[in-house]
Amino acid sequence: MGVTVVFRKELADHLGSRRYLVLFALILLLSTMSAYQGVLYIRDRPQAGFMAIFWGAQFGFSFTYLMVFFGPIIGLALGFDAVNKERTSGSLSVLLSQPIYRDAVINGKFLAGVTALSLLGVSTITIMSSLATTLLGFGPGAEDLLRIILIASLTILYLAFWLGLGLLFSTVTKKTSTSILMSIATWLLCSIMISIIAALVANMVAPIPMPSGPGANMTRLFESPEYRELIQRRFTIQSNIQRISPAYLYNEAVQAIMGRAGGSFFIGPGGGSPFRSLDISQALTMSWPQITAIAVGLVACFAASYILFLRLEIRPGG
Amino acid sequence: MPQPIVETRELTKYYGEVKAVDHLNLTVYEGELFGFLGPNGSGKTTTLLMLMGLTVPTSGTATVAGYDIVKESREIRRVAGLLPEGAGYYEDLTARQNMDYIGQLNGIPKPERERRIKELLEAVGLERWADTKVEKFSRGMKQRLGIAEVLIKRPKIAFFDEPTIGLDPQGVKEIRDIILRLNREEGLTVFYSSHLLYEVQQTCRRVGFIRDGRLIATDTIENLSKKVAGVEGKTLEFELTEVTPELVAEIKAIDGVASVEQEGLRLYVHMERDRSREVSETITKHSSVILLMRPREYSLEDIFLKYYEEA
Repeated sequence: MGVTVVFRKELADHLGSRRYLVLFALILLLSTMSAYQGVLYIRDRPQAGFMAIFWGAQFGFSFTYLMVFFGPIIGLALGFDAVNKERTSGSLSVLLSQPIYRDAVINGKFLAGVTALSLLGVSTITIMSSLATTLLGFGPGAEDLLRIILIASLTILYLAFWLGLGLLFSTVTKKTSTSILMSIATWLLCSIMISIIAALVANMVAPIPMPSGPGANMTRLFESPEYRELIQRRFTIQSNIQRISPAYLYNEAVQAIMGRAGGSFFIGPGGGSPFRSLDISQALTMSWPQITAIAVGLVACFAASYILFLRLEIRPGG
Repeated sequence: MPQPIVETRELTKYYGEVKAVDHLNLTVYEGELFGFLGPNGSGKTTTLLMLMGLTVPTSGTATVAGYDIVKESREIRRVAGLLPEGAGYYEDLTARQNMDYIGQLNGIPKPERERRIKELLEAVGLERWADTKVEKFSRGMKQRLGIAEVLIKRPKIAFFDEPTIGLDPQGVKEIRDIILRLNREEGLTVFYSSHLLYEVQQTCRRVGFIRDGRLIATDTIENLSKKVAGVEGKTLEFELTEVTPELVAEIKAIDGVASVEQEGLRLYVHMERDRSREVSETITKHSSVILLMRPREYSLEDIFLKYYEEA
């Protein structure tokens, strides 16, 4: 009973909030643009398949990059002040003076956030697909449809993870200014910094030898098997470090589901495409560890905020 | 015989090493307007939070409306309302929407909820602002909304924690009038926590003094006043046309007069027993005229300080 009331109120708050509407509009704009570019890509290469609307953007963001980059900020934005804002404003003690169980509050808030995020994810993907279908004159086949549904579900899971993390930040901190800084730091780290750090570490562990002096032959170096091995090693180091970031895990999993193995960050030497085509069961098997990791992260964040919130002591003066 | 509605037994709360409430034994009866008085940081808010089940006592027990504050706190929140100190509202929502949310959380069905919201907003004088966002409200208006929210569940007892803090005199009077009316006309039991002596004197009949988490005294204001006066004896204040040393000496000599203080033409006569007649006769005998004669009264402030000094 209590949880439905909290859920309805929080959902109405999200859907009417400027924060949510701005993010929604931004994502919708960028993703329709990327779908349009995907359509152009497919027109040039008819063998690319319908799924290319999600990755075929030549200029700017593809849908996966959009989610890698903006996903954390969307999820965190809906969660970072969920609890501490009510603590500071004093509405939390009024709320908790009502005949409800305390977990109704945190559950209702979380579910409302997940619903708002699902709405954002699903409508974005639906609009992208329908736009592409209209422009191309053909729609996704049964298998592609299944892939799209999988991507949508994974996107919801991924956004829910960031929501859970935001909720945790809002439970552990008293001030919204602290939790917003924590959110921005996490976002920068997971979306941008991590690839720089990974590249730096890879460069330290496996530096590329630069032949110097007269007679140095660059071409011979690039074609040598040792060089290929070195590049492969660097790639492994980099992706293992970047796997700390749920954004990277999400990207890997989505690439696999879209039928592209190896991840989009890796362009093989010699210009050859590193991608194999994967069927759905192969893709799921391959991306299962990533999906599990995101799910575990989500459960851990929510469980931590749940426990902390239930043990939160209402004190005089907040 | 009034039934007790709040009973605490050795109720104790520590925040870490700090003792906030210390073996508190308190009884509040149905239908009364009980003043809970104490300086800032004396444990008033903590006591209220424990009674509403928002925080758990370190030791001791208490019941509100017959429910245990630890095991049945949700039942308590069904029949008891709290207006917390510094209560906040959803600023983006209107007064009506704020109240509707609280009404829904109390499981009140829609038609009944709408009726009560309308009724209560009228009762607290906010009917004109029912559909205005709370962010536009003044402090006093927010506080009145808070009272309306407390009442939407039709509580048996309402806890008000510093309800007039930070309000202007007009706002204070409005809140006080609403609370008095609720108690007198609707028979609502009110537990009124405040550090403002005058406030409590104006509204409450029975008060409890709390300091450092301990209950120092509970009684009606008249009885407390008498007790202080009893300890102190009685003091009469005189203003005369003429005061001579002989007059003072003679008053002092009266049996039952403990001491006399002189401030210009004013005399303060401290007596062990009532000697007002003898004192005034003596004054007349010395051909001085009494311009003013009054017993020195103990204000609540005197009582308050007196109890605190003794504690």
